[in-house]
Amino acid sequence: MSGIDECLLEAMRLPGARGAALVEWVSGLALGVVGEAPGGDHEAMAAEAAEFARSAAELPVFGAPQEPAGTRTGTPDDSGAPVEDVIVLGRGGYHLLRFLEAPYEGGVFLHLWLDRDQANLALSLMRMRDLSERLVLD
Amino acid sequence: MLVRLAERRATGALLRDTGVLYLADGVVVHAESPAAPGIDVLLTADGRLPQEQWREAMDAAGPGCRIAGYLVDHGRLSGGELEIRHLSALYDAAYFVLAPDGGPSRFRHGAVHWFGRVRPVGVADVERETRRRRRYLAGLWPHAHLDSAPPVRRRGARLPPVTRRQRDVLDLADGRHTPARIATLLGRPAFHTLVDIRRLAAAGHLETGVPASGRIPAAAGAPANGTAAGTATPGTTDPLTPDRTPFTVLDIADGRDVAVLRRLRDALEEHL
Repeated sequence: MSGIDECLLEAMRLPGARGAALVEWVSGLALGVVGEAPGGDHEAMAAEAAEFARSAAELPVFGAPQEPAGTRTGTPDDSGAPVEDVIVLGRGGYHLLRFLEAPYEGGVFLHLWLDRDQANLALSLMRMRDLSERLVLD
Repeated sequence: MLVRLAERRATGALLRDTGVLYLADGVVVHAESPAAPGIDVLLTADGRLPQEQWREAMDAAGPGCRIAGYLVDHGRLSGGELEIRHLSALYDAAYFVLAPDGGPSRFRHGAVHWFGRVRPVGVADVERETRRRRRYLAGLWPHAHLDSAPPVRRRGARLPPVTRRQRDVLDLADGRHTPARIATLLGRPAFHTLVDIRRLAAAGHLETGVPASGRIPAAAGAPANGTAAGTATPGTTDPLTPDRTPFTVLDIADGRDVAVLRRLRDALEEHL
């Protein structure tokens, strides 16, 4: 795989795929988008999904380390995202967010929007994991 | 000016006081700013690319302005990872280059950046993202001077916990390091550091520019107080400032909580 666009286009080959994006969650930047976006606005979709991804990655209830200011209880290598995937089963479709494993300081995730009637959730999850790994390893 | 350069499919460097935007055939291929860590810092700081491999790439491909191609061809980074990191750096620096107070623009035709072409982006995309980022920061905590002033930590037993990323920033908020310096020390994009600084300020962990006396001024006296205005242009209304100030915690039932009162005052001053 040679880059972001190829990765997103491959994600779009999944059954029921309506739109896909690669997003940096700290900034809300859409690094790449293909297909549709809810409401037709890819920028808004990226920004809102980033906010959701940030909560998943940073809130302690999902496993993120939180520390009283000034203490250093975390281990030096705790930079990996504590969450691997986020799945939203919405009335308007399924949303899969897959965090990239590489320890980017920015934190990057793949976002796939799927049609409810056509999507195969298990297959999509597996493919997204595979795609996220190949994007940074190949 | 940028739109005209894009229409003419210009190649060269747009120079401003705040940095440089590189165009090739009318699209943005790179950006650099003194306020943002360079691509070299962002690639090597977290050890993803060892320093010696970076130097080797510079020596071999720097003169030919194709370092990006060299890194991929020699298996140092995947094409996807290079795109992600380069785009992150490009938008990060562009945010500062295109700042409203970035001064006059000059264009040097034919200038090419040494990193080489990765994944060019349209001028309109860069401008739109830059505007979105300004709105985003203003929505977090509307104190624009926090983007350049060295953040000063505020101590207090009742402050909320912080995330790992925020803790790293807080540890360097000693009133001497600028946000740009903190970003470089941490090897993170500068905008990400600004996001953390605004969030920390909103949560009460950082000073947001209060008068040295610590006295809460009467509303009528606020125009004379220049500390909260920071680098904002006086006499103009910032259209990006939201109508409402985001309060994350409002525990005003406790009259002793000076931190909350300070934050409330800071927020009110910003809107006067």
